[in-house]
Amino acid sequence: MPQSPRRNQSVTQSDTVLALRGIHKSYGELDVLKGIDLTASRGDVIAMIGSSGSGKSTLLRCANLLETPQQGDIFFHGEQVKWHTKRHQRIPSDKHQVRRMRANLSMVFQQFNLWAHMTVLQNVIEAPQTVLKKDPDEARELGRQLLTKVGIGDKCDQYPSQLSGGQQQRAAIARALAMEPAAMLFDEPTSALDPELEAEVVRVIQTLAEEGRTMIIVTHDMKMAYDVATHVIFLHDGVIVEEGTPDQVFNNTRSARLKQFLQSSGTFG
Amino acid sequence: MEYCADPSTLEGLRWLACYLTTPKHQLFYLSFLTVFALLAITAPVVMIMGFGGAIARKSQIAPLRWLGTLYTSMVRGVPDIIFFLFVPIALDQLVEYARHKIKCPHITDPVYRGSEFIVCEAAKMPLSDSAAWVHNTWSFALAVIAFSLVFGAFAANTIFGALNAVPHSQLETARAFGLTEKQTFWRIHVPQMWTYALPGLSNLWMILIKATPLLFLLGIEDIVYWARELGGSKTGYFQYPHPDWRLWYFLALLVFYLLLTWLSGKIFNRLTSRYSLDHSSNPTKPLLKPIEAGR
Repeated sequence: MPQSPRRNQSVTQSDTVLALRGIHKSYGELDVLKGIDLTASRGDVIAMIGSSGSGKSTLLRCANLLETPQQGDIFFHGEQVKWHTKRHQRIPSDKHQVRRMRANLSMVFQQFNLWAHMTVLQNVIEAPQTVLKKDPDEARELGRQLLTKVGIGDKCDQYPSQLSGGQQQRAAIARALAMEPAAMLFDEPTSALDPELEAEVVRVIQTLAEEGRTMIIVTHDMKMAYDVATHVIFLHDGVIVEEGTPDQVFNNTRSARLKQFLQSSGTFG
Repeated sequence: MEYCADPSTLEGLRWLACYLTTPKHQLFYLSFLTVFALLAITAPVVMIMGFGGAIARKSQIAPLRWLGTLYTSMVRGVPDIIFFLFVPIALDQLVEYARHKIKCPHITDPVYRGSEFIVCEAAKMPLSDSAAWVHNTWSFALAVIAFSLVFGAFAANTIFGALNAVPHSQLETARAFGLTEKQTFWRIHVPQMWTYALPGLSNLWMILIKATPLLFLLGIEDIVYWARELGGSKTGYFQYPHPDWRLWYFLALLVFYLLLTWLSGKIFNRLTSRYSLDHSSNPTKPLLKPIEAGR
């Protein structure tokens, strides 16, 4: 059942798709994340904003374990990620658990990262077939539907290099949708696009938000954050400085740091 | 009567036709098959060794990684010819030594006596009373192993480099979608590796073709052996006397190799464009493993 958009933040525990608790991540001396809590419930659209180097992309990558946080816990549908320590480094101990989580948290990358040796349709059906063991015909059918949905149904048999950036990113979104994930993770999905192409990708993301899909979006696009999100998180220097509804965060800004950031990003002032 | 019954009475084209079909010439023609056999057997083995070497070098397991690195860097630092001379002799002695230990345990004398390597009759490889073809096959097999070892190391280097050239983001994306390491390797990493490996492998194939006359160096009756043998001047003692024709025989080999490498170049060009990852310049070209256009 599609969820109503902009649903209320107060959710029951069973609705929690993804929860991050006390996430710490450092690279050598550099502390990128200094204890972050984040909860994504079903239907939430969480926008993470902040200047470059604030740790927002790293946090997103911790969520599907592309990065391993040194401290903190990750819960997926209430199930805790299991850790063990190997050569003084904490790593996930259950590969199956990690893959199950990743298959349920499809990621959309800044640089699209479509697999260059496959056609657009092959890109979309690859993981459903190899990971979800979906029937090829069924996967193809769904793939075509999704590509039509993002407006590039005519590009099925083209290769990524034959598509514009906006088309590639829409194909990447279709690829993520094809996993029928519990939540989608967007890592600056529009940052590599010029404004015209950006708009077509934003439209697709907006549609997904209206369908009530659970999404976490790292973005520099304040307008998209304002329009699409149910909840906005402002990260600075590895901590959450401010969070709340788009209205609270953008129109009733409390912290000086966020005010300064919004001013310099020019959209709100 | 028979067409070529008495060569001394033949003239012109008929003489030439008979000359070119003597039993020795037929052996010459057959020896071309030796070259093709060497290429046909060595190429796949080289690819397997190359993959094995490259995967070993990338392995998480340290001893395997050292072995892979040792193998590829050692071969790179030694002239090919030294390897081709060393490997067959070393292998031959190794096998004979092992057989000696098994078949003649009663002989306690060391196998190296002074500077000589002596094993009992039963340990000889092949046995001294074996047929000629057994001897030939054995030395051919040793040659194949030497070729495979050397070219396998080169291929390993090329494939290792090509595997590293695949953008990390392509693999990370696969992992982010829940593909296993194995699936990521075979479904994303290897297919994309080809585009970076093909120029090097194409080069290697050319070098392999051009290295086949080394068979001659290993005492195998290959095309070089027969060209020299047949081309040398023949006195009236022979059925078909002629002056020194080696120039023409070697010219024929030259043309043969030129044709072979030219054809290979064509095929590799085709492969290179097929495995290219940049499809923007040529939208209509044949697709790599296209999905059938089912509705």
